[in-house]
Amino acid sequence: MSILAVNGIRKVFGKGELAVVAVDDVSFEIDAGELVALLGPSGSGKTTLLLCLSLILEPTAGVIAVNGKEIFRDGWTGIDVRRFRREKIGFIFQGHNLIPFLSVRDNVALALQLNGVDRRAARRRARDLLEYLEIDHRADYLPAAISGGEQQRVSIARALANNPPLLFADEPTASLDTARGEKVMALLKRVAREKNSAIIAVTHDVRMISGFDTIYHIMDGRLSRAEADAVAV
Amino acid sequence: MDLAIKDVQRHVGKFLATIIGVGMLFAIVLIMNGIYRGNFSDGVWLIKNTDTDLWVVERDRGGPFNEQSRLPGDVYRSVAATPGVDQASPFITYTVQREIRGKERQFTVIGYDVFGGLGGPGRIVEGRRIQRAHYEMVADLKLGVKLDERVRLGRHDVTIVGLTKGAVDAAGNPLVYLSLADAQETLYQQDNEALRSARAATLQRLERAGNTPDQARRLLPLLSVGSDNISAVLVRVSPGAVAGQVAERIRSWLYLNVYTQDAERTLMVEGRLKKMTQILGLFRSLLIVVSIIMIALLIYVLTMEKIKAIATLKLLGASNGVIVRLILEQSLVITLAAFAFAYVTVSLTYEMFPRTLVLLPADTRITFGVIFAGGILASLLGIWQALRTPPSFALGG
Repeated sequence: MSILAVNGIRKVFGKGELAVVAVDDVSFEIDAGELVALLGPSGSGKTTLLLCLSLILEPTAGVIAVNGKEIFRDGWTGIDVRRFRREKIGFIFQGHNLIPFLSVRDNVALALQLNGVDRRAARRRARDLLEYLEIDHRADYLPAAISGGEQQRVSIARALANNPPLLFADEPTASLDTARGEKVMALLKRVAREKNSAIIAVTHDVRMISGFDTIYHIMDGRLSRAEADAVAV
Repeated sequence: MDLAIKDVQRHVGKFLATIIGVGMLFAIVLIMNGIYRGNFSDGVWLIKNTDTDLWVVERDRGGPFNEQSRLPGDVYRSVAATPGVDQASPFITYTVQREIRGKERQFTVIGYDVFGGLGGPGRIVEGRRIQRAHYEMVADLKLGVKLDERVRLGRHDVTIVGLTKGAVDAAGNPLVYLSLADAQETLYQQDNEALRSARAATLQRLERAGNTPDQARRLLPLLSVGSDNISAVLVRVSPGAVAGQVAERIRSWLYLNVYTQDAERTLMVEGRLKKMTQILGLFRSLLIVVSIIMIALLIYVLTMEKIKAIATLKLLGASNGVIVRLILEQSLVITLAAFAFAYVTVSLTYEMFPRTLVLLPADTRITFGVIFAGGILASLLGIWQALRTPPSFALGG
């Protein structure tokens, strides 16, 4: 069974003549451990699609199911959405978005504590994740005191904290040079394989495109599958 | 994980500077409270601490503090003869400005009958009461003088034999007690040259009125300006006598104005103190409002500095409670620490202020309550901004 199944989702902003269709009849499926790229120019609808998939925007129509469980069902409240996001989704940001006044370890532990894990267990798990991502030597540093590549690894560690089946990455390599970008791609691939998480990355970065298992191209809100070679060219 | 405290720990300098800044503002609020109460306390101090039942002043006058009152020096004898009067004493008060220790100082002179009369100083904190008819003085510590120091008043040096603490007039100036004779001399004594000119002018007027020079010279002493006037007569009523009835008797028999202690106090509170009290009250209220607005803006700015972190927290699934707690705790930390700073600062320095500060615990508690509630209200602006920030704000560069 696929980990994420999207069937005919559509997102419309505004009404009547002012209506803008940002995402139009998008359907796809992603399996556990799959690394997916979502490519498209500015205004193509890829961010709207990501916001729908991460439960920030509710689709106007269509169904999203995670592990076979339909989300945005009738009666879902903000609390259900937040809990689902905490438990099932991890985020990796272009700007890393680490909390600037928390240490590297606390940034990772925070994601666990928000999910109800007690402080001691959260710190233990954070330490393990930092070791796994080979950034444990920076555990007590503030984000501002480490490099961009290191910050991205911390961001990945935080995204993995609650073992989510889905990871969304927003331009994960855009702010990194080629060498660091390739390292992050290798890391994402390793995470997808070893943690069995599906990773969907919105990206403009064609340098890294060969690292993805599946590539989707979005244009005017419509999704199509693309081949890595064709995109790279 | 307490995010608010973590943020404070990471930005100790910034928060300390904020706390000191807000604390200074709160200190001004507390000082204004103190001045407000001090103005009232100073205003009625002399009335409250003068050992008398009745104040007898010039007819149709609101004296001796709100309006000048002049009575002949011996009128107290007539008052003393009124039924129901146990003791009547002459009393004079006026404000002077003299150079003391090289500085211009304003103070109020109280002249009273030093041999058992009413109206003398209350508790002497150092030295003794006046025991001689002339050239001795009891002064308040606020005048900045020491025991046995000699102060020039008129043509004489007066020795300070006793010191009081907290004896002030309605304007907060220190009180100086003199014998009635010394106080009258200081007030009425004219310069020799001025005296000679006045006498010559009077002689000329008498001669122009048809008197011979000899007659004019003999009439002159009778026409001299009185120098034994007093401001009021202080009355202690006999045991069992009703102050109101005695006052009415003096009023109708001697054609004088009479105020009981309560009436004299009301006269002061409703007259001289009223406008200043209103102004200080207004300033006090405005300062509290300004303080709350300042906290609101500070919390708003602190929230806006963290808005991306807040959006990230929301995206990570943080509940609204986590966000509210982050902002509210910082608001409370700033408010409480700033108030503590203000309280300690004012408590340590209030005696150095030129005006009397009266810090009532009830005022401090109420101010704290208002500021505390204001701090919570102020943080609502930041909370509102944080809660309306969409999680999607965290996405993108």
